[in-house]
Amino acid sequence: MSATVTTVRSRRRPPREAAGSPLLLGHGRLPRVLTGTALVVLAVVWLLPFVWAVITSVQSEEDINTTGLSPFKGAFTLDAYQRILERGNVTVWAFNSFLISALVTLITVAVSTLAAYGFSRGTFRGRRALLGVTVAAIMVPPQLLVVPLFDQMTLFHMVDTYAAVILPQVVAPMMVFILKRFFDAVPRELEEAARIDGASEFRVFRSIVLPLSRPIVAAVAIFVFIGAWNNFMWPFIVTNDPDLMTLPVGLATVKDAYGVQYAQSMASALLAALPLIVVFLLFQRRIVDSVATTGLGGS
Amino acid sequence: MSSRSPAQGPAAPDPVHRLSRRRLLRHTMAAAGGLLAAGPLSGCVSPASASGASSLSVWDLFQGGDGMLMDEMIEAVSKGAGGAEGFEVDRTILDWGPSYYTKLAMSAAGGRASDVAAMHLSRLAGYAPGGLVDPFDLDLLAEFGVTAEDFAPAVWSRTRHEGTVYAIPLDVHPFIVFYDKEAAEKAGLLTTSGELVPMGSPEALLEAGKALAGATGEAGILFGHVTDTAQNWRLFAGLYAQTGAEFALPDGGPPKIDVDAAVRVVTLMTRLFDGKTNPNNLDYNGALAAFTSGRGGMAMLGEWELPTLKKSGLDLGAAPFPQVFEEPAVYTDSHSFVLPHQDDPDPARRREAHRYVAEILKQSLTWASAGHIPAYQPVLAEPGYAALDPQSSYADAAEVAVLDPPNWFAGAGSNFQNRMCQPLQSALLGNTTPEKAVRQMVREADTLLRQPDPVA
Amino acid sequence: MTTTAPLGAEEEAGSPAVAPDGRGTAPRRTRSGNGLVFVLPFLLVFGLFMVWPIVQGLWMSFTDSSLALRDTRFVGFDNYTEAFGDPDVWSSLGNTVFFTVVSSVPLVLIALAMALLVHSGLAGQWAWRLSFFAPYLLPVTVVTMIWTWLYQPELGMANQLLTALGMEPVGWLSDESVAMWSVAALTVWWTVGFNFLLYLAALQSLPTTFDEAAALDGAGAWRRLWSITLPQLRRTTGLVAMLQILASLKVFDQIYILTKGGPNGSTRPVLEYVYDVGFTGYRLGYASAVSYLFFALIVVVSLAQFRLFRRED
Repeated sequence: MSATVTTVRSRRRPPREAAGSPLLLGHGRLPRVLTGTALVVLAVVWLLPFVWAVITSVQSEEDINTTGLSPFKGAFTLDAYQRILERGNVTVWAFNSFLISALVTLITVAVSTLAAYGFSRGTFRGRRALLGVTVAAIMVPPQLLVVPLFDQMTLFHMVDTYAAVILPQVVAPMMVFILKRFFDAVPRELEEAARIDGASEFRVFRSIVLPLSRPIVAAVAIFVFIGAWNNFMWPFIVTNDPDLMTLPVGLATVKDAYGVQYAQSMASALLAALPLIVVFLLFQRRIVDSVATTGLGGS
Repeated sequence: MSSRSPAQGPAAPDPVHRLSRRRLLRHTMAAAGGLLAAGPLSGCVSPASASGASSLSVWDLFQGGDGMLMDEMIEAVSKGAGGAEGFEVDRTILDWGPSYYTKLAMSAAGGRASDVAAMHLSRLAGYAPGGLVDPFDLDLLAEFGVTAEDFAPAVWSRTRHEGTVYAIPLDVHPFIVFYDKEAAEKAGLLTTSGELVPMGSPEALLEAGKALAGATGEAGILFGHVTDTAQNWRLFAGLYAQTGAEFALPDGGPPKIDVDAAVRVVTLMTRLFDGKTNPNNLDYNGALAAFTSGRGGMAMLGEWELPTLKKSGLDLGAAPFPQVFEEPAVYTDSHSFVLPHQDDPDPARRREAHRYVAEILKQSLTWASAGHIPAYQPVLAEPGYAALDPQSSYADAAEVAVLDPPNWFAGAGSNFQNRMCQPLQSALLGNTTPEKAVRQMVREADTLLRQPDPVA
Repeated sequence: MTTTAPLGAEEEAGSPAVAPDGRGTAPRRTRSGNGLVFVLPFLLVFGLFMVWPIVQGLWMSFTDSSLALRDTRFVGFDNYTEAFGDPDVWSSLGNTVFFTVVSSVPLVLIALAMALLVHSGLAGQWAWRLSFFAPYLLPVTVVTMIWTWLYQPELGMANQLLTALGMEPVGWLSDESVAMWSVAALTVWWTVGFNFLLYLAALQSLPTTFDEAAALDGAGAWRRLWSITLPQLRRTTGLVAMLQILASLKVFDQIYILTKGGPNGSTRPVLEYVYDVGFTGYRLGYASAVSYLFFALIVVVSLAQFRLFRRED
């Protein structure tokens, strides 16, 4: 049950651990060739849609529509990308996605770590009841709240604002729970010493507990960011103004005067895919850790 | 900031601009400031105030040929066509159908909707009664040269709710017949002046189908309907109106449908598309492809397919949907402009919105090139319109226009049309009898009417 | 998501550590007071954007609340009665359950297979992880755009491959009996990487002693996989399956964008029905009632899984 901590720690070991694992190979008879072939086949299947999209995106609409798409026939052109960037929509939506995801992450992490710390160390009345309610709320799928939330946003006159996109996304009981369990496992000796020295509770939190918790906070932050970046339903419901839309919402909602154009469609899809893929390439290890530790609710 | 502002003239890359970097910057600052400084509840960022008072936001659902023509018209009025002052227009295109109408309603409910939006006139009953669109000021429109007298009464009558005008029609787009002039000639269906002969009776239409089939050696009349959510209804509604019977959807039900008349219509439809002379199992694109490749003499389609058909190289003729029952009637709809509800409309912007609608109407000749009949009739009188072939040959359809029965759930792209189509499709495919199909339609309409009315 | 049992256990351990100080009451007071202050920001957003909509939604489900701007009336249980008799509620629930089954099974099994294969230690860990996990990082619309194109009837890759192999093209998104499978295939491609990573992490933290001992005893690779590794992964499999089922039940995004629930409602999940009646059809009150019925189902499924799981532990 306390794998949260162990998984994170085990990750600090030298990065090549997986490659040296004896499982299945060792002096086993399962041939390397078989494993290799299976992996390659799976990887090809998984990469094929990307490849097909890339090929489509560098051809002209005419070539695609007239000759039927053959990856090797049409002439290479970056026309589709140029048009997409000229139009500027995708850039604006990418900007909105970044802004919204960053703010959601920032607020969620701040609010959740504070709350987790309060739940872990606090002694205020009703703490257990509130914690119980928070844990129970993990079961509530946010998707089921879109109707009353939209109604609420109408009431607050917040439909079509960034605030309306962001605020309902910062409520993350699961993250509070994960962090609280981590804090529970942090030894208290240091804190007590600091308290005896007269440090305020916030100071204890900020300069002792938080630094010790950096890996889990990073894991939570990454998880929340990916979630916000890819969130569709709520932003889709609460934004009608294209200037406020995130990438997934804008791409799904706003159309082009010319109708469906596959090269441009693939070009914008790939452009929209790019940011997180690049981030993944840069921080692969951290992201993998984040999913592994937070994905199962820290269990 | 090296990018040119669109106002700087025709050299700007895209006069119907969407988002400039300048606006992006403003959003950033508004978002950061509004959100972080003012706290959650007051942190609303109003796009209206952020995008500047001068740019008029317009929404529509026109893609493809229509979409490009709309771009052309907006570009013309933006530059100040006819000596009028120009506009800065921020155009948003959404997907045709339910998703567009959902977003339109939600933006109006949210209070920050666009300044002007396109709407099928048949959908108005779902918007005006619930306060989701704001009324037009006819005096203001008159100031910009547009009055009630400029529209065909059959269409204008549908722009009002409780006496107030909520929509200004841009076009009338009837469900008509296109024919291959060569085949029609051979089948003896052309008058001496080269027009389609009047039918006058169901039997004449059936005979025409046979004659056309003989002339092409393949199908006579083509109609695509399988899995389509509107085609069957369009055909049915037009023919039903020709019987003179009433089709009404009073709140709370039951629907007023003349079952005998409806059975007559569906029977004719099944006799016409018998699967021999005229195929009964085509889908929309299948029928279109068959017609453009000369595998049929006539096609029952919306006039908006004109640009596609023209490209096919057929010797193309067109006519209002033939009258085969007692009264002349053609099923149509109309793309109109509405003012989506805003909580707090700025009078100056509203004025601009009226002026914009008036100016766009005056560009209708451009719109007519896609096949639509301009609703603004002064354009019909222009010599340029008479020269449009075959558009001018079905312009009369506007006079006998029949739209969906007004109800909040009916209209273009609605669930109602979809549900009417299902039993009709079954009947055409021979899976059910006309009587049963009609009973099913009545039941479906009744179910919809029994739902609590959310706009009343 | 996991059991609440450890909470209670840890409380006891935490509490006594409270006040070992002999320096008066001041720190103690700050402490109890501040504990609440730390939780307050969370309670604020939790109250506003979780509790409020839950309560508001329940209230709305008893009214005829509309998207149109008009007064709301209390209608008692009318919405619930209507929902129970509404064939579209049942068919969309059926679609949701069908999707959950046909997506969850491959999402667990393929993820497991991928993790076992990658864990076998072939070179290029980095590349395998990237290929399998990358799709998970794509926003849903990007995924649906790519797959709409793959499924395109004439020019799409799927039908071109079929035609090249001499087979009949398939109406991937237009054939009622095929469309949901197409959606499931897309979903597997898109999200399997997540489960794959969970399995991979679990595999990497497994103790290898049994496996090594068995290998020394001459047990073959298959044998060791079936009798040692898979049993060791049972707990992980349970957790992954549980999360996957809950995630699949909540499907909306990809279906809404890909098919809008069509053809003829054959792929419409219950969450899309909520959207359709609530926003497209203006009936927010009725949509709330349908939401609450679905919520009841989710709670039942969660609790059932919970039970099952605790018993297995």
